[in-house]
Amino acid sequence: MSKKAGEQIPGRTDYKWIGKSIPRHEDARLLTGRGTFVDDLNIPNVHHAAILRSPHAHARISKVDLRRALNLKGVIGGITGADVLERTRPFSVVATSPMQYYCMATDKVRFVGEPVAAIVARDRYIAEDALDLIDVEYETLPAIVDPEKAVESDAPILHEEVPNNIACHRLLSYGDVDAAFDQADFVLRERLVFPRYTSMPLETFAIISSYDHFRGGLTLWSNFMGPFIMHPITARALKIAENNLRFIVPPDIGGSFGIKTSIYPYLTLLGLLSMQVDVPVKWIEDRREHLLASSVQTDRVSYREVAVTKTGVVLGFRTKLYDNVGAYLRTPEPATTFRPIGNVVGPYQVKNLQIDADIVVTNKCPTGPNRAYGCAHLYFEQERLMDKVAEKLKLDPAEVRLRNFIQPDEFPYTTPTGGIYDSGDYPKAFQLALKTFGYEAMRKQQKTARADGRLFGIGISTGVDPSVSNMGYLTVALDPEVRQHPDYLPKSGAAETATIKIDPLGQVTVGLSSTPQGQGHETIVAQIVAEELELSPEDVTVIDECDTAKNIWSISSGTYSSRFASVGTSAVANAAKTLREKIFRIAAHLLKVDVEDVVFEDRRFYARETPTQSIKLSHVAGTAHWNPNGLPEGMEVGLNVTETFSFPLAHAPDQKDRVNSSNTYGFMVDLMAVDIDPDTGQVKILKYASVHDAGTIIHPKILEGQIYGGAMHGIAGALFEQQLYDDEGQCLTATLVDYECPFSTEAPKIDIAHIESPSPFTPLGSKGAGESSSETAPACIANAVADALSPLGVNVTELPLTPNRCWELLQSARGQTT
Amino acid sequence: MKLQVEHVFQVSRDVLWQVLHDQTRMADWIPGCEKLEEIEPDRFAATMKIGVGAIKGTYKGTVQIAEKQEPSQYTLAVEGSAAPGFVRGKALMKLHVEDANVTRLVIDADAQVGGLIASVGQRFVSGIAKQLTRELLANIEQSLRSKPEATA
Amino acid sequence: MKPVSFDYFAPTTVNEAVALLEEHGDDAKILAGGQSLVPMMNFRLVRPTCLVDINQIRDLAYIHEKDDRLHIGAITRHRDLETSTLVQQCNGLLFEGVQLIGHTAIRTRGTVGGSIIHADPTAELPAILAALDGEVRLIGPKGQRTISWRDLFVTFFTTVIEPVEICDEIIIPKLPSSAGWAFEEFTRRHGDFAVAGVAAVIVTDNNDRCTDARLAITGTAPTPIRATQAESFLVGKSLTQTTLEEAGRLVSTEVEPESDVHATANYRQHLAGALTTRALQRAVERCLSRKDQREK
Repeated sequence: MSKKAGEQIPGRTDYKWIGKSIPRHEDARLLTGRGTFVDDLNIPNVHHAAILRSPHAHARISKVDLRRALNLKGVIGGITGADVLERTRPFSVVATSPMQYYCMATDKVRFVGEPVAAIVARDRYIAEDALDLIDVEYETLPAIVDPEKAVESDAPILHEEVPNNIACHRLLSYGDVDAAFDQADFVLRERLVFPRYTSMPLETFAIISSYDHFRGGLTLWSNFMGPFIMHPITARALKIAENNLRFIVPPDIGGSFGIKTSIYPYLTLLGLLSMQVDVPVKWIEDRREHLLASSVQTDRVSYREVAVTKTGVVLGFRTKLYDNVGAYLRTPEPATTFRPIGNVVGPYQVKNLQIDADIVVTNKCPTGPNRAYGCAHLYFEQERLMDKVAEKLKLDPAEVRLRNFIQPDEFPYTTPTGGIYDSGDYPKAFQLALKTFGYEAMRKQQKTARADGRLFGIGISTGVDPSVSNMGYLTVALDPEVRQHPDYLPKSGAAETATIKIDPLGQVTVGLSSTPQGQGHETIVAQIVAEELELSPEDVTVIDECDTAKNIWSISSGTYSSRFASVGTSAVANAAKTLREKIFRIAAHLLKVDVEDVVFEDRRFYARETPTQSIKLSHVAGTAHWNPNGLPEGMEVGLNVTETFSFPLAHAPDQKDRVNSSNTYGFMVDLMAVDIDPDTGQVKILKYASVHDAGTIIHPKILEGQIYGGAMHGIAGALFEQQLYDDEGQCLTATLVDYECPFSTEAPKIDIAHIESPSPFTPLGSKGAGESSSETAPACIANAVADALSPLGVNVTELPLTPNRCWELLQSARGQTT
Repeated sequence: MKLQVEHVFQVSRDVLWQVLHDQTRMADWIPGCEKLEEIEPDRFAATMKIGVGAIKGTYKGTVQIAEKQEPSQYTLAVEGSAAPGFVRGKALMKLHVEDANVTRLVIDADAQVGGLIASVGQRFVSGIAKQLTRELLANIEQSLRSKPEATA
Repeated sequence: MKPVSFDYFAPTTVNEAVALLEEHGDDAKILAGGQSLVPMMNFRLVRPTCLVDINQIRDLAYIHEKDDRLHIGAITRHRDLETSTLVQQCNGLLFEGVQLIGHTAIRTRGTVGGSIIHADPTAELPAILAALDGEVRLIGPKGQRTISWRDLFVTFFTTVIEPVEICDEIIIPKLPSSAGWAFEEFTRRHGDFAVAGVAAVIVTDNNDRCTDARLAITGTAPTPIRATQAESFLVGKSLTQTTLEEAGRLVSTEVEPESDVHATANYRQHLAGALTTRALQRAVERCLSRKDQREK
């Protein structure tokens, strides 16, 4: 069913390596416990940090006294908020909010788990013993956790500089939304609630910090994933020069999914600690800390209304939303709200829309990127309403989607919000999904099941999958007038750099500055380079580690927003192509023929006419290194190519708040059939089909893994996980007993199919697919459960659909108490 | 966390009121109370050893009596902190006359637990709260029985 | 998180262990499987100054049958029970229930004695003990005492065991050969603590009327409880679907659970009833099929 990779790439009709699921280079070491993670790094004389965290959600700090703690044998130092206030600057924020965010609470604590003090000791045990000896006095204040209530006039205020707890507000209008609503035959409205959850990487934050007191240089080894804009932000906070701050990321990171973007406040804290003591300081975040005070996605309340014709065509929509960013607006937030701006209409031809966004602070953990990064929130709203349209007009929900899709002949398609969808064929992918799912047969099955009294539902969701963020998108959070100001430095772009070299004996090494967290970059890079250089992936060594002192990097570097398969592979492909040209020119020179007559086979070059007279690749490489005088006239010595790939259409937002927030756009369709146990309320996924268009597929198994993982994250958020707080701001889910990550035993089988609409913007035609169904699975489950419960007249507007919640929905439908 | 308990004591309301406000007896019925010292009238520094099973902590804090409407109701506020975290509770204590020597005590409490016990001990929290209220009522009973001569 | 520092002892006899407990009193904890204790120590919720590791006391790991009862040594691992043909033959309820404890890795370390003395209100073994009127033997400096489950469990995570005592044996009666049983529990994920669980045993006469019914519920109270109202209701009746559903309804009125982060009180109450009906259905099926087999 899926197209053979390469059929649509102009000039390439068959690939030897690209499109094949070769064994992954990473797996042997990862599966045998021989990966190199931060905790495996052997830094001599390392000491250990422990962090004292606030037990209160909102309180003034009247005293922090370290004396007893510092006297404990084995403790060598410690800091409090006073040290942080004196020696660091507050972190830069993108938006216009005047609030101050430091790596530690200074005058007030604003969320449970916020750092209040930190200790360095010989080992972690002693450091934690020392925490028990820190004397802190708090004056508690009332807390607020609900974003809608936080903006009311009587709500407790978190930051004096932020009235009504609204850290940022934007009203974005595109097209003529009033006219759309005037023309509509029907208007449908829903209030929707999307929960806080995270992606629970296996490896938590990990940092080793070492300060060179002589030269003022700070080295931070960590599992930071990018974007590297956090490097200047950290340097600025610590008041050190950027070239005195070195970030080193080891080859292996145990999962991140966006979460480790927000490690930088702890990088700052550890940096400050190591500046105080004379030894390297190590901190491995434990799971409780991670669940309390690392990073999660926002929780959101949204009111969406949709204007629709009687034939089910959506003319426009309005969304009023409250995004709860927790206690501080922490960069890169409010990106949850604005990252999907370019694709906020999803795959539909809607031309008129308005978004009224309140970014609200409350006494919860600060938020940050989490897999799907705003798209799960977005498609939940979008797809619930599409089902509501179907319900109202008594149309098949599949038909409603088909009537609204952007058509294949419209690509590249510019959305009303400035997004430039590079390629796609939504109706085709959708039909493939219906076929893979067996839609008609499943509807028949539903009829039979319903006649039996079963609660059987079918759900559909679709979404445009944006990859490679344009760093400019976040500035949509600023008013256009601010962006107009002469002192304002616009932000835009997305780039990646790859270096490929061939050593004196003819072996290939590739260097990158991405920060993979298990996605298999080494493998796909080897595939791409082997393809271009006509070698085998076994011949290609890939070094995928980032050292800001040694690698070429920029603020958009890193592995996030599904960018590697798009921008990373493009840099590699282009560099490989350039290198190939060079070695062919050298071979031609040595063989004394024209370049067009050179053939390369089994690591040997020969002239087409005289195949028996060949020279080895190692000879060609040897010439470049050992005998540069033997190279063609004017050719640069050595055999290494460094290329940076960037996207030309990644502009800053215009005056009308339009911005191409990502650079390549995939597409996915999820279909599910569920059965709800009427006694326990448990939702069982009976069938799940998922179709993806990620452009050219480089490694099908890796893509499948991404889809499964993304889908599981979406299912987790829809049915199991939630970061919960009580009304006083106490976090109720700080262990994995209470924060319920599903296990592999909860994973359904997924029938996956693909189409490939290669991107015209990348040399291989590939797009990112690292987030995939994490964006659409929650909406799909919500729609499936709503469909299952629709005979009872029950609506679904909130996640997660835990057994308890489903049971309560059933009870309310039966008119009974819950 | 909201808690509502009530218990019927076989004493007159006045006697119950006395017992609840007699500082020499408060140390008897405050759960786990090891030390109780007056700071000012109706405000005490307390050391309480509370917990369930192996999860115990010695909480240092204060006990405060306020909003007295003798002899029918008052509020009791308790707060304490220890290594496992802090506890804070405010209870409206209402004494209802059932009969000459029968009084119903209705406790309407709002309790908050924070720190370690709240973040990693969620499974234990409501159990501990219920346990404490049970202990409280049992202790008051015990106190009434052991020193029945306390009268207005 | 890391625990506070502690002294560690690994006695090889019960007497040595008891002597250590006597010496260190309240501040000592027994380390058996460690599946409940060690996380609590790592979280610093529990701070023993001394750990008495009883895993070296080989004499405490055994499964014997004597006088229609299973005698199980306290450090017998859950995994040993689930792989024991003796247990499978003598007590299907125990055999089925133990497989629901956590995951295989947990069952490989966790012990029967540890689980019962830990007295988690959602655990399976205490409910099984309750359903079958099992007993526990404790040994201390003053000697040994055997206690019924009813006298053992006090409240959440609390039994009558003294700080100077060790549990050395669990005694569980065999199931009558005419009995049917089932353990039915509801969890959010595979291997989780039960939101609620029901251990059911049914015995019928030749006319398929119930002569004995046991219903032990876990997860709805500070200790395991027996749903005596529902049990009495079932005795003497023929076990139709309606009867089983009524028994379930009775259980849901008998229990008074709490709300927590995983479930509301009302939902737990409802669940206890629904699980009771399901457990009874399976127990009755088993009862009837065992009868059929005996008659062959």
